[in-house]
Amino acid sequence: MQNKSERYIPLIVTVGQVVIFPYYIVWLKEVSFSYTLFAWLFATFSFAAAWGYRFFQSRGEKPRSLIASVYVAMGVVYIVVGYWKLPIEYLPYVALMTQIILGFLQGYFRAWHTKQRSYHVHAINHYLIVGVIMIGLSFMKVVSPSIFLTVFGTILCMCGMWEVVRGFDFKMMK
Amino acid sequence: MKGITKFMKKPWFLGILVFAMAILVIWNIPIEKRKYGFSQSGLATDYTGLLPERIEKVVNVHNRNELQRIVQEANKKGKHISIAGLQHSQGGHTYYKDGIVLDMRGFNRIVEINKQAKIVRVESGASWEDVQEAVTPYGLALQVTQSQSIFTIGGSLSVNAHGRDIRFGPMAETVREMTVLTPTGEIKQLTRDDTEEWTTYILGGYGLFGVILDVTLNLTENEVYTIHTKKIETEKYESYLHRVLENQNIAMHYARISVAPGTFLDEMYVIDYNKTKKQDKTTSLKEEEGVRVSKFALDLGRKGGKLEDLFWEAQRLYINSIDGKTITRNNAMRSESTFMEFTTPGRVEVLQEFFIPVDSYEEYMQSLKDLLPHNDQDEDFKVHNITVRYAAKDNMTSLPYAKEDMLGLVILVQHGLKEKEIAHAKTMIQKWTDVTLQYGGTYYLPYYPYQTKEQFKESYPNWKSFKKQKAERDPNEVFVNLFYDHYMK
Repeated sequence: MQNKSERYIPLIVTVGQVVIFPYYIVWLKEVSFSYTLFAWLFATFSFAAAWGYRFFQSRGEKPRSLIASVYVAMGVVYIVVGYWKLPIEYLPYVALMTQIILGFLQGYFRAWHTKQRSYHVHAINHYLIVGVIMIGLSFMKVVSPSIFLTVFGTILCMCGMWEVVRGFDFKMMK
Repeated sequence: MKGITKFMKKPWFLGILVFAMAILVIWNIPIEKRKYGFSQSGLATDYTGLLPERIEKVVNVHNRNELQRIVQEANKKGKHISIAGLQHSQGGHTYYKDGIVLDMRGFNRIVEINKQAKIVRVESGASWEDVQEAVTPYGLALQVTQSQSIFTIGGSLSVNAHGRDIRFGPMAETVREMTVLTPTGEIKQLTRDDTEEWTTYILGGYGLFGVILDVTLNLTENEVYTIHTKKIETEKYESYLHRVLENQNIAMHYARISVAPGTFLDEMYVIDYNKTKKQDKTTSLKEEEGVRVSKFALDLGRKGGKLEDLFWEAQRLYINSIDGKTITRNNAMRSESTFMEFTTPGRVEVLQEFFIPVDSYEEYMQSLKDLLPHNDQDEDFKVHNITVRYAAKDNMTSLPYAKEDMLGLVILVQHGLKEKEIAHAKTMIQKWTDVTLQYGGTYYLPYYPYQTKEQFKESYPNWKSFKKQKAERDPNEVFVNLFYDHYMK
């Protein structure tokens, strides 16, 4: 039988990332100043994702390796973007860093996720849940995208912590 | 192909790709990140952003008939109009509460270049850069313009700007003819012997006497100069400048005073441009160079203390490096400006300029030493740069800052935006203005008006006649701005 972490957390991460994406894009657009820079920041994200994916594969596909840290690191990035009020002077540089880190982590996570037993079920559920949430969000008066980014960042950190605690329990049982 | 695919599968290769992309992105992050002007949520501001104001609308101007109709309608309906170019004036000269702003940037045609007569006719919304691009292929150059080419012709003439040239007098004197739209909606063609004295009030009139539609400017040869630089003591500058003025071989000159703690107001760098009698038709206009390095150095200097000493030393290295090099006149008149961008939240960097009679310079600098802190590292009010330029006596405009041959000290000042920080900056600048007035000097009006009305009246004794003429020529107060409100009401 699947454990709860394997069943729910990857789904929360994939759904959350898609739902939060429009808010993240708004932030990224504001700090990019030009379309060229905006596009290049995405190119960086993409290359970093490829790097993260390959990095996971090259480590011998250990099933649970580092995934808790990946959740926490992703969470920290979203919290930084949503919560910290950084001077405009530094924002493009911070955006570049977040694109690299998020890209790498997302690539790593995706590579790990495809190896999970629940991956194909998640893929279907993911699309359905994202659709429902997006319809729900469209009726909400958004106070500030930063609130969503911070909340999602916190959820990811909690997922990471849960994985750490669960891993610890698992070892103790052994 | 197989090899490439194999290569791309290596994690280290992908890591290098990300690193390379990151470097590319960093290199393309713009230096100028600030937004100002008409884009801020319906509020208009200018370069400092210190005087935000709600305006009725912005009209992008494209032809003179449209302009004439707007002005005539404003007369009938009691509307107010302000004129804006690139908005580098910093005292609300380009907008007014609930007023109409004429955005002149689209009114920027180069109408005619006459190589034989050495003149260019240009619409007022064009920038100096536009003119430089048009006249350089003819081997021609402007007689007077600012050391940077980022301003509009109309804006510079409205503030009667000055630059590095020490031979052609004030900018206003280089205007041969001008077409203006008066406050009552009349289009007038003005020449230098304008009997109605419109030129006296429009040039250096801060946009209060009508719209400059086009101007015919005198040109000169795009000569090649050799640059000569030197470090001197401040107390020797007066005599040095007299020698420069006597030496007809020197076409342009400016200097920079140290504000670094170790050499505070004691040291200067002087930069002269010597004539070579060679005309240039082939050298292209230079683009902004070394912006990132310059900005990094300036940002270090902005921290004050030892870092400002380091910045002064860096300037020494730079100034030594250009000694003996050649430059065309047009390129000497288009210095870099992007590196000056300042974006620290809660703080602002503003310009002020004080004019002092040439022969009072030495005593004036002694008095400044008593007024300003030698090391402003921990102060809120920081002085980051003082550039010195020569401004010849102005007989043409109604509010002349150069009542005799003067030295203009262009000051870059940084201060906080809290109420008490602004108040402190105001006090400091008012004290500075008092010292300037004691020596028979004046201060420049295109900047944020920290000065009092009394200081304005003392600096510009002709203000009464300026105000009287304004009432006569613009009875419905069509052309107004925040500057007018501050000083003339």
